[in-house]
Amino acid sequence: MSCGGGSPRDYAAAVLGHRPLGDGSGLLAVRCGEIASCAEPGQFVLLRPGTGNDPFLGRPLAVADAAGDVFKVVYRIVGRGTALLASKRQGDPVTVRGPIGRGFFSARGEKPLPRKVILAGGAVGAAPLLFAARRLGLSRIEKTVMGVAGKGWEGFAEWLKEAFPGVDLFSGDGTLGTKGTVLAGLPGTLPADSELWACGPQAMLSAIAAHYPRDGGRILAALESRMACGMGGCLGCVIPTVSGNRRVCVDGPVFTAEEVMWNELSSC
Amino acid sequence: MNSLRADLSIAVGGLNLETPVVIASGVWPYDPVLWSPERLEGVGALCTKAVSLQPREGNRGVRVWETPCGMLNSIGLQNSGVRGFLKEYLPIAGKSGIPFLVNLVMESEREVRENLSILRESGDAIPAVELNISCPNADCDGMAWGISPESAARAAAIARSEWKGPLWVKLTPQAPDLPAVAKAVESEGADALVCGNTWLGMAMDLKRKQPVFRRVTAGLSGPAVFPLALRTVWQVCGAVSIPVVGCGGVSRWEDAAAMILAGASAVEVGSSLFADFDLPRKISEGLADYLADAEIPNLAGLVGLGRKEKEGGRPWAQD
Repeated sequence: MSCGGGSPRDYAAAVLGHRPLGDGSGLLAVRCGEIASCAEPGQFVLLRPGTGNDPFLGRPLAVADAAGDVFKVVYRIVGRGTALLASKRQGDPVTVRGPIGRGFFSARGEKPLPRKVILAGGAVGAAPLLFAARRLGLSRIEKTVMGVAGKGWEGFAEWLKEAFPGVDLFSGDGTLGTKGTVLAGLPGTLPADSELWACGPQAMLSAIAAHYPRDGGRILAALESRMACGMGGCLGCVIPTVSGNRRVCVDGPVFTAEEVMWNELSSC
Repeated sequence: MNSLRADLSIAVGGLNLETPVVIASGVWPYDPVLWSPERLEGVGALCTKAVSLQPREGNRGVRVWETPCGMLNSIGLQNSGVRGFLKEYLPIAGKSGIPFLVNLVMESEREVRENLSILRESGDAIPAVELNISCPNADCDGMAWGISPESAARAAAIARSEWKGPLWVKLTPQAPDLPAVAKAVESEGADALVCGNTWLGMAMDLKRKQPVFRRVTAGLSGPAVFPLALRTVWQVCGAVSIPVVGCGGVSRWEDAAAMILAGASAVEVGSSLFADFDLPRKISEGLADYLADAEIPNLAGLVGLGRKEKEGGRPWAQD
């Protein structure tokens, strides 16, 4: 399959399965061979809950897994669009634009894979890391650390434990796993022959980036941003980087931590 | 688009378009893959992202915000400046084989003069210019050039004196008397008018209890604005003789047909491409079928057809 020459395309697709994970989160399986066969971990899709004009824009959701002609995404209801996605049942039509962006593997360039990778995810940021873990293989994963807020995330935490065997789980309120942030579960130093792949809320990613000195292992962070087009055109999703504004949608969403001007990121 | 059931080609403001579907400024990236004929099926022409004299970083903070059937944007004309455009992007646009218009930012008289003189150095490589007069007038009171007939005429006159090739002027719907602005721009020699641009709106962030956008206001686009845009197209087409390109909320072939019936010679599509890459092809096919079914031989036959006098010979009221 040509995979669109690297630029996303639109597909009419259908929901194959929907597994609610409780408290407004869930796992959607979508049948779309073009996306499933071309996506790499860290890439995302714009998922529109229907075919009309409202909601007008697709929701950016990371590909959580892909096999055969089916890919999966993880959602958590944060507004009307995600609420509509949460109401989808098997067979319901959805519109998908994708696969979009530079994933974890592409962001590394030609470098050989590191001996060990640490995965760090916050909330639904776990999604692309699951796909990454599948492609990396268990032997290369040194450690997986996940964080959630706590109360209200019980079902999601159960899924995390199932999806990432041996995961170290942290919660802000201490009701799930160990009390604390993801950072508490990460090693104090990052050896130069290892890498840390992270996805989660901006505060979590900033804290991770600030925690490690630049001379250690490389940190790859998958960022989120409000966006409209998902093709690099509207410039709605840019973030400040050391090389100027860059688009989260097509220049990212995976950036190396040293590229991003973390202190200048506006939270949105 | 050889399979179309009718001839959609039309001459608009110095350009010969294969279809009347123009990609509006601000939406299409300079991605060589997306400028390939296969990805531009049904597109008659493209407008580049806004090009200013100097590079611009654009706005900070939230830049896009979804609204019912539409969106607000406050991008701030981020671009790499005219030199950057010529070096990095003109080669991509030039290879596509599809006519394109360089959308030009106009903040000051000096800026647009210098910008056009630099563009002139490229000769025939630049098929046409679309002058954006929605920017605040830095020479005057900060009000957009396109708000008053006098300042809009001034802007058009300056551009006309510096650019002999096809010149489209993109109006702003914020003008209190848009037909008067349109006439003023026409009288200064513009080849076509684009009617219009985004509609000024705003959004409030209830969580932070403050406006969403740092600049408070932002431009509204998408299907939500279509009836507003259609009304301005009707009014402007009644006021001028040069071709008018309808722009605002076009998301289906029916919208394009409505604007053409109102007098537009072509339409621009923008935000709706965020929902559907394939929209230009669908609009072109829909228009061609509409013409074929109505036995109208070509697109020109549809332009302004909806303005024909009512039965009994009474003209439509203008307002």
